[in-house]
Amino acid sequence: MAQSSVLNEDQRDCLQEISNVAMGQAGDHLARLLDAFVILSIPHVNILTPTEIAMAVQTIDEHNVSGICQGFIGGGIAGEAMLLFNDTSFVDLAKLMKFEEELNEVGERELLIDSTNILVGALLRGIAEQLDIEFSFGPPAIMGQHQELGKLLMSNNVRWDHTLVIEVNYQIEDYDVQCDLLVVITESSLPRLFGKLEYLLD
Amino acid sequence: MSELSNNEMMNDFRWIMDVVQNVDVGLVLLDKDYNIKLWNSFMQNHSALYAEEIIGKNLFESFPEIDEKWFNRKVESIYLLKNSAFTTWEQRPYLFKFDNYRPITGRAEFMYQNSTFIPIQDLTGEISSICLIVYDVTEQAINNLELEAANNKLEIISQTDGLTGLFNRSAWEDQLEKEFDRLQRYKEDCSLIIFDIDHFKKVNDNHGHPAGDEVIKKAAEITQKCIRKTDIAGRYGGEEYVVLLPHTNVDCAEILAERIRKKIEGLTVQYEDIMINFTVSFGVSSYHDSLKSATAWIDSADKALYESKENGRNRVSIFQHTNT
Repeated sequence: MAQSSVLNEDQRDCLQEISNVAMGQAGDHLARLLDAFVILSIPHVNILTPTEIAMAVQTIDEHNVSGICQGFIGGGIAGEAMLLFNDTSFVDLAKLMKFEEELNEVGERELLIDSTNILVGALLRGIAEQLDIEFSFGPPAIMGQHQELGKLLMSNNVRWDHTLVIEVNYQIEDYDVQCDLLVVITESSLPRLFGKLEYLLD
Repeated sequence: MSELSNNEMMNDFRWIMDVVQNVDVGLVLLDKDYNIKLWNSFMQNHSALYAEEIIGKNLFESFPEIDEKWFNRKVESIYLLKNSAFTTWEQRPYLFKFDNYRPITGRAEFMYQNSTFIPIQDLTGEISSICLIVYDVTEQAINNLELEAANNKLEIISQTDGLTGLFNRSAWEDQLEKEFDRLQRYKEDCSLIIFDIDHFKKVNDNHGHPAGDEVIKKAAEITQKCIRKTDIAGRYGGEEYVVLLPHTNVDCAEILAERIRKKIEGLTVQYEDIMINFTVSFGVSSYHDSLKSATAWIDSADKALYESKENGRNRVSIFQHTNT
């Protein structure tokens, strides 16, 4: 294991604090955009292996999870945000997003992509601001609509051993909308990220 | 500011404008009222509208193909969250409808596009306008669509029996398994017919295999004509056929089996100058709670078929489930 893959207590606390602040900001922005109350969860910061990530997301729901991925890169830090939605909440999600088009397959796809873009953007913007960097984002891509999560994760050839994951749960009051957001940061970005953290800690 | 640095600034500005003009993606700048402020060469070339003609005009008035409500919803989050928004060809094939411009290698009717909407801040940090970046992804979209079509075709081929066009055995068994699982939950009527061409070996021995194939094909054709769209017919073995009849009780299944039997009995298959008459024997078994598996269900229909064979062939027998 590379030395940089190990997260010390200070670094973890610092990342935790950054994530907490970012989540608070995201909740505020989202509440204004969506006219709904976002129930904030405490983000989890962890160093994980691919198998651990697979296990972490499998506990959410064995079936009917839509996963959408969005890549981000900037300031020497790159990664992918993965949003996991429960399929049952499409109608509520549409109401929340003021999405008025027909909820057929194409409509569902667009709804998922728009929601992901907003939820991911809201959190990552807050993180980037605190690290004094700016991320550019790629278009969100749907990984396996109506497909089992196990297959989703196994179908990818994973090329890394350890990585940093920030896990956040979004819940919207009065809507049947619940999703988990996993921000997976590439192994090669970790030295740069820890460098930024050192700077903040000093 | 000295004259020199002023000149340098003008030079820098010109380089940047050159790049903006010539980059091979569409760039459009919109103010808060959706009036067009920048229209680069890519956009000019594909829309056949010069910058002079379009700058200052409203986006929706100039391009009625853009859904204003949809566009507004996308843009709203940009102003509030200061993030980008995206649309890909899989959601909407295009933002601006540009015709395909390559008469020889162009395979699409129009340009497939991915678009990114990015916020542009003014000097005070407020978002004053929005930049649209339009990518031509026609090649990628067409390749993807063709791959999908090819995969669908392959899937159909892999499920079909080449000679008869019915489901092949494994595909039919998949359907049966699914239906069986469903029936265990919903307890509806459903029947299974299995039938077999009588003395088929003689047809092959007397007239040759091509004649035998013709007989197999004709029997499948008659079956296909007799059943409903929701019924699932398959070729189970060499001269053995199966039909799964959802929402059908045993009496109706028997009527259908009789109809196929009579049609085949009255049919003469012509192969070159040979005339062949043949008959078929049927076994019918309806779904019953006592059935433990899909295989047990086929076995029960098979037993009824065996009974038909024992009792002189060219007839329909019903499997009687005993309540235990």
